[in-house]
Amino acid sequence: MQDKAPHPMPYRDRLRASEAARETTGCYDGVTSLSLRAADPLKFETLHTKLRSFCVSAREMARRISASPGVREVGEMVVAIYTPEGDAVALSNGIMVHVHTMSRFIKWMIEQGYEENPGIREGDIFANNDAFIGTVQVPDVMDVVPIFYEGELAGWAGAVCHELESGGITPGGDVCLAQERFTEGLFVCAEKIGSNDEIRRDYVIRCERNLRMPIYWVLDEKAKVASCIDMRENVKRIIDEVGIEYWRQVTKEFIEEGRRGQLARTQQLTVPGIYRGHTFYGHVTEGKPGFQPLGDSNWLYAIPIEMTVETSGKITMDFEGTQSWGYHSMNCTPAGMDGGMFVTLTQHMNYEGLVNDGAWMATELKLPKGTWTNPDNEFCATATSWALLLPAYGVFQRLLSRGFLARGFVEEVFVGQVNSPMIEMGGESQYGTQFGMAHFECAAAGSGALAIKDGLDTAYVGWNPESDMGNMEIWEQNMPMLYIGRSILPNSGGAGKYRGGCSFLSTWLLHKTQHLRLVTSEHSSRVFDNAGMCGGYPAPTCQLHRTVRDTNVAEVIAAQKPLPHGIGLNPERSTIEELIEGDHETTEGPYISSPHVAGDIFSHAYNGGGGYGDPLERDPAKVAYDVENGFVTELQARNVSGVFVTQDIESGDWSVDVKVTAKARQKLRANRRKRAVPVAEWIKSEGNRVAAKDFVYEVRRMYQGGMKLSPRFSEEFRAFWSLPKGFVFEDEKAPKRKKM
Amino acid sequence: MTNYSQDVIRDLIAGELPWHQTKRIMSAYKDDDRFFKVVAVLQDRVTWTEQILLPIGEHLFIVQKGKTRITKCDCGHEFGDYKKNWKLAANIYVRKDKRSLREIYPNSDLCHPDWMELREFICPGCATLLEVEACPPGYPIVHDFQPDLEGFYRDWLKTPLP
Repeated sequence: MQDKAPHPMPYRDRLRASEAARETTGCYDGVTSLSLRAADPLKFETLHTKLRSFCVSAREMARRISASPGVREVGEMVVAIYTPEGDAVALSNGIMVHVHTMSRFIKWMIEQGYEENPGIREGDIFANNDAFIGTVQVPDVMDVVPIFYEGELAGWAGAVCHELESGGITPGGDVCLAQERFTEGLFVCAEKIGSNDEIRRDYVIRCERNLRMPIYWVLDEKAKVASCIDMRENVKRIIDEVGIEYWRQVTKEFIEEGRRGQLARTQQLTVPGIYRGHTFYGHVTEGKPGFQPLGDSNWLYAIPIEMTVETSGKITMDFEGTQSWGYHSMNCTPAGMDGGMFVTLTQHMNYEGLVNDGAWMATELKLPKGTWTNPDNEFCATATSWALLLPAYGVFQRLLSRGFLARGFVEEVFVGQVNSPMIEMGGESQYGTQFGMAHFECAAAGSGALAIKDGLDTAYVGWNPESDMGNMEIWEQNMPMLYIGRSILPNSGGAGKYRGGCSFLSTWLLHKTQHLRLVTSEHSSRVFDNAGMCGGYPAPTCQLHRTVRDTNVAEVIAAQKPLPHGIGLNPERSTIEELIEGDHETTEGPYISSPHVAGDIFSHAYNGGGGYGDPLERDPAKVAYDVENGFVTELQARNVSGVFVTQDIESGDWSVDVKVTAKARQKLRANRRKRAVPVAEWIKSEGNRVAAKDFVYEVRRMYQGGMKLSPRFSEEFRAFWSLPKGFVFEDEKAPKRKKM
Repeated sequence: MTNYSQDVIRDLIAGELPWHQTKRIMSAYKDDDRFFKVVAVLQDRVTWTEQILLPIGEHLFIVQKGKTRITKCDCGHEFGDYKKNWKLAANIYVRKDKRSLREIYPNSDLCHPDWMELREFICPGCATLLEVEACPPGYPIVHDFQPDLEGFYRDWLKTPLP
């Protein structure tokens, strides 16, 4: 797909020389000593702090130019300053995953000979949202501008916004129905979109004519370019002060220091060794409208990770044993995988400020070719790659945390992030105009627990540490839906000595629209895509969608009867079913259906985090607090933590029944002894099931795919279950499905 | 250099340190002697005498027992050679039907037992729930952590292994 580059270019020569120097010396660009830092550490640190403040202020300024509630309210933006070779020197807060993906974009242009054609000149603006060049998914649109100083390339300034609408086959940004690249939306493939600091009018026209809601994308472009110009001019002022030679050397030393810092931090916080973990993700599209019959309609992905920490401090992550890319929207490119690694490191190991591409250079990713982590087909779609990427990096967080725990840094142990399924929508807005939008309240999931406290409720996502769900009133201005409920979902955090953070559930009443398409695809189907740790349980993340059409809402409101504000606690019959008459539907996994109209009701739940430690060790007082505040129900408190609580009728306060709780806990512990069997016994009986391949098609298919792509996984699988050498899962045809 | 008393570390591990102090520890530079203090606190908590070499879970440790190194629960139950997966010497209860899953998740939407089961690894000594694996049926049990004990003590702690 990529054209061969024309003639060798000085920028490309410089890039390759830099990479060769790193290869030879092990240090960034061959910088083996931090001489500027040694000579004047104050000047060195002051300059780095200034660069970081340029980034932070440029992003804040740009957020006020944007029209998108995703950027304005939720902060879906990041900016960074790069070396001429495209390595990040300093960055802002925000969606930091893209700091490294932008690096790939710049390097790609240099490698492709952009210096000659289309040319790299002062005032040029380049944009990209092609994941195989360097981003995660189509809505992550990045702009970079070169920084020239006295005619020489001195660096780059870059900015990324997550667009709320990208013009794909289904509305919104995370285009769930994209099964190939050609349905993902508007691609801008490392394109020069402006010169002389001005975005080309023809590019804007292309955006205006190919997007459902161009105001978001186009104003975000202006915001990004403004932030890049702001950073560029600040960098030029800095170079005026320190001189170009100092600038060139100090930026390299910043990155080398970042690399060394990462290695040192690994040595300080973890224990060398091999760490292993896994999670799984289910994707059921069987019988759903719109999906082309290009491959399997149902997928079960295994995401096993082996992390090796060497005594040098280097971290290597190996994804061997996972499955192939597929005709769905969840594939990820190495750029996205790198970005996931980078953003995780910034949160867990590089939290002191000197964060740059050096951290990434102290790590290695092994992404088996042909798997979803490294597709060998560039036609595949990556529009919802977060669906697999987030659970994968949740595993990474747990693996790192095992190291923190072993080293004694219990306050850093974190059970990890979960998926944050986003709602995409489009059609007729409440103003009677055409629109499209991604609803970014998903940026506030429950977090995994810590080893010393509960997870955060509705306040964390891995991809943006500035988690924020945004105000309901702001979202209501941008979509034809009114909130009739936004509330904590009880028991949505995984149980444990410390429970996972709870998620929330939103319930909407559609209004003033006769055509609203609602699409969401990033909930795992049939498997929880997270885990607990040290005895904690996973959070229940197979959330279903509950909708009602042809409702009697108008009559209910006229009669001043209660409206449903959530789904309630009965898993067999929701509060919506109890209070509203109409055509009720409950849907697993991706939600894609015919358009909705005013009067319909739609509910969508986000995910809580996994728990830590044995729930029988949970402080009963914490359980009473949880029940009182709606985080946990009495039933779960009794069943899982063995805690009985009572409510004082007069004061309304909840308290623990200490005696009954002590007895209940003894009983639960005795019950464990009674029904558990030695693992060796279980392996013997379960081994017969494995030998008979007595699993549903999707499970067999998962094993077949993993074994086909990974000899190591095959050997380990056979060895674990004592299976003969030639044991394999055959490549079989999918069973007949419901009609599409 | 940052440094905390053993009492502070004990309260931190127990989750009993006031939040403002915990937060300060989280935000400060890390204390380089943490490992030794944590091991000392943990050693104080157990009733047995074998030396703790490395904590590997909320209740599990690699300890020196004579000339061997084994995985041991704080209750005293021994799981054998630390290089072998301790889970293989544990007890297990598998939640693989709707009824048993409902015990844990009374109102939530459930995973499908054909696609996923919950495996609870339980200490044969004290019946503590040590780990939970959530995976499809047939997935091999995971060996969570194989530490490089020698490298850790030699290169990072600069202390000989006992």
